Amino acid sequence: MQKIFHLLVFTAILLAGIVPVRAQDGGSKESEKADDGQRVRFNGLGRAYLLNTEIDGNVLDGDTATTREITDGSFLLDLKINATPNDKTEVQAILRLRNEFGGFFGAGQTVEVRELWARGIIADRLKYRVGDMDLAMTEYTFFLPPEEGSANLAAAFLPQQDVIYYENFYTDENTRRIQGGQLDFGLNFTDVLDEADFSGFFARTRGTDFFTTPSRYVTGGHTKFSTKTLIDTIGLRGDFGFNIVHTFDDLKSGDANSGIRNTVWSADYDFTVFERPRYAIHIQGEAGRSDLISKTDSSTLYESDDWFTDIGIGLDLKQQKLKLLLSYVNIGPDFFSMGAQSRRVDYQAEKTYYDRVGNDAGVRQTSLFDITRDPAVYTFRMSDRLMNYDPRYSNTLPYGRATANRQGLRFTAQYGKNTDVINADLAVHALGEIRGQGTAELKRFILIRPSANLNIHQLLDWKKTLRFTVGYQFEQTTRDGVQVEQVDLTSNLIDLGMEAELFPRFEILAGFKYLNSKGSDYIPQIVQFNIVRDLPSRSTYDDQETLLAAGVKYQFKKGVYLTLQYQAYNFERSGDGLPDYGLNQIFALYTMYF
Amino acid sequence: MKKHAFLPNRLFIFPAFCAAVLFTHCSRDMDSIDGPNLIDRFGPFAVVSELEISRDTVDFGAGETVAFNAQFNKSVDWVVSITGAESGAVKRIEGFSSLVNSENATWIGGTTDLPFFRIERCTVELTVTEEDAFINTGEVEIASTRVYPGLLLTDFEANPGTNIRVRNFQFEFNLAETGRLNSSVIPPAQGEFSLVLTGSDNAQDPFVGLVEVYSLLTGSTYLQLPSLVPQNIFFNCFLYSDGRPNAIAIIQLVIDSNNNGTFEDGTDATYQPADIVAVTWTGWKPYSLTLANFGIPEADMGRILLARVLLINDRVNNPIPPDEIQYGIDFITFTQGQPLTL
Repeated sequence: MQKIFHLLVFTAILLAGIVPVRAQDGGSKESEKADDGQRVRFNGLGRAYLLNTEIDGNVLDGDTATTREITDGSFLLDLKINATPNDKTEVQAILRLRNEFGGFFGAGQTVEVRELWARGIIADRLKYRVGDMDLAMTEYTFFLPPEEGSANLAAAFLPQQDVIYYENFYTDENTRRIQGGQLDFGLNFTDVLDEADFSGFFARTRGTDFFTTPSRYVTGGHTKFSTKTLIDTIGLRGDFGFNIVHTFDDLKSGDANSGIRNTVWSADYDFTVFERPRYAIHIQGEAGRSDLISKTDSSTLYESDDWFTDIGIGLDLKQQKLKLLLSYVNIGPDFFSMGAQSRRVDYQAEKTYYDRVGNDAGVRQTSLFDITRDPAVYTFRMSDRLMNYDPRYSNTLPYGRATANRQGLRFTAQYGKNTDVINADLAVHALGEIRGQGTAELKRFILIRPSANLNIHQLLDWKKTLRFTVGYQFEQTTRDGVQVEQVDLTSNLIDLGMEAELFPRFEILAGFKYLNSKGSDYIPQIVQFNIVRDLPSRSTYDDQETLLAAGVKYQFKKGVYLTLQYQAYNFERSGDGLPDYGLNQIFALYTMYF
Repeated sequence: MKKHAFLPNRLFIFPAFCAAVLFTHCSRDMDSIDGPNLIDRFGPFAVVSELEISRDTVDFGAGETVAFNAQFNKSVDWVVSITGAESGAVKRIEGFSSLVNSENATWIGGTTDLPFFRIERCTVELTVTEEDAFINTGEVEIASTRVYPGLLLTDFEANPGTNIRVRNFQFEFNLAETGRLNSSVIPPAQGEFSLVLTGSDNAQDPFVGLVEVYSLLTGSTYLQLPSLVPQNIFFNCFLYSDGRPNAIAIIQLVIDSNNNGTFEDGTDATYQPADIVAVTWTGWKPYSLTLANFGIPEADMGRILLARVLLINDRVNNPIPPDEIQYGIDFITFTQGQPLTL
């Protein structure tokens, strides 16, 4: 009953205040419009990626099975065919032709459709899109949280990150790749409200196997409202919106007789409560709730619901180029949002290189090196249980801001722009659990992550680029109690980078990553939703990882470059008796966006 | 002034929005913890209070019970084991908790491993599965044994006279070890006596012999069952084997078809379960099934004259010359609604 009422409120708000409609552009991008005017355009990506990787270290003692050196790679061409049969319709397909390094005469070659969609405008009012699409809403409803293991990634690692992101359809807007349909339209208002945007989508995220696994769908939408300036003397105005995401299994598909319903809805807001030319004060945040039901055709197997709130006060010092935000967050222990809590890094995924090492062919733990270079450990799919995480890399917010069972303060500061001599960020999270895991004692989390980019060429007014990047992440988890309850895990992550343009478009790149972690924690075993089934024995860490990269990069033009690098990785651990190992890599990567 | 007058209308949006936000917040389960308790899982074990037994002597026949009390610093898998000094009967009460008390550790006189307890002294042991070194002990005296519910046909304790008859038609019974015998041959499941059937199949058919147990043992010609619905009445007994092979037990119920109050073989109808029981295990086992499993029609439920206990040889595995086969039976009862619960 309560849920129905929530939906009615949401619908009422959605339909409120219909006034003259503001047309929206649903055609091709501006850059594409400025193309040569042909109705069919060919763009795409070409990539040649060759790698040589060696492994060494104590892990190979007595091991005669593991290959010491692997040379591999691939060549691929993603051919983007974009057609605009009329000025209201646009269709696009990306065909992928791929060949493994060393594959000849058909062996190792694949041809596949990587992307397919169509979009357009109906009656100059309604924008639609069907097929593949990338979608993000708010950080608590539908959002792909960033991966861990980085405080400010050095430019040397960016080409590999570009490969990972491209292969997994990641975008800078933290979107998820889904397949379905989307409708958007906008409204202009004459009073109080300035404008409103409405968007709804429907997608299938999983097909049925016709036996035990039902088809899974996700649907939802959002409304975004902007007010006019309501009090001119103080500049009072606001942006706010309502969001809803509903993930459900179709129990009529196949013979499957059990499935889930996960509904998340929220209201987000950014109110400018005081604004002057030199500064502005904002109240911003988001609040909402989630409902989760696991059911069969006739009965409910599991049910939970919870709420969250995120409210902050922001100060925008415009002349100083400084933005400060202090927030209080409270995300309930039973808050469950598949669309926002599904992670990028899948620690259960099989790694491309050296997934198993040693004489007993043990699974190698996913490391900073894998997170930096291996697309196979990443996913964009939604998981119906909280995925595994590694507390050394991320213990405070392993599932992004939507991590459940957290309350406390968050402080962020942003200074400068990318083109300034220096631009910097700072994020501080002082959080604690709301409900204990295995004890009534609560964990406390401290996460401090400062980062800065130094554009020396701007300082010295050089035409060639010289940039240093630095990032640091300190993370500490503690818990009091009797000895068996106590937790104390500290990790330090350092990122250093340098880009030096020796000749026009020819750069020397250097990057360094270092992580140490010491202490212990209990990692919950979760097999369904967010239910902690067990707390296996304490995980103890006393290890450090170093990753050094050095190389060159030649940029033929924007989006077309060749980089040649050497990377050395070392993993040392003590305390648990597991062997150390190292990985050395040489790679050449040619990328061409055209 | 005009702007001020208009403000309330324009600003309605903020309280409305706040109301919508607050609407999402409701109560939350804060009492529980996620996952198993870490102290239970990994904490050191300690005894807060030792084993206490609520009484030294218990009269189960009068409805008395015995409660066991103890407390640990964490939840553990504990076991209270009560062993009869004379009978060797064992009762085990198990649980997972930090507290052992009357709610989870009360003994009403039943048994886990047959035989039944007798009037005897019992030793009590409290152990913890995860802590091999821990044991608390105590004693309790049984003044009278538990009275089990149901209609007892016989427990073979009293001399039955002619109401138990051994039929050695083919002279294949070993009569020295057949009939109502005391514990010198087989330790009984209850009391001092049980019915034992022992013999060798020398003929060409698998039949060895049978024993007739008349309803007159209950004081009536026919069994006075508490219900005449076959599905509601359970036949219960305990069957024994010392592990030797090839013995099959068949239990029949005989109806007085001609209502003359006496058994006339060939005239009175005989009912038996479809499934045979190969008695080849070691020790006593409970055996229960409804009278509907015997196939007795409801109309004949009030005319059960006797039970026949047959010893059959499993000819498929019969060696040459045949080995002696044997089984025992004790405590034949009829219960209503459910099988006999120990």
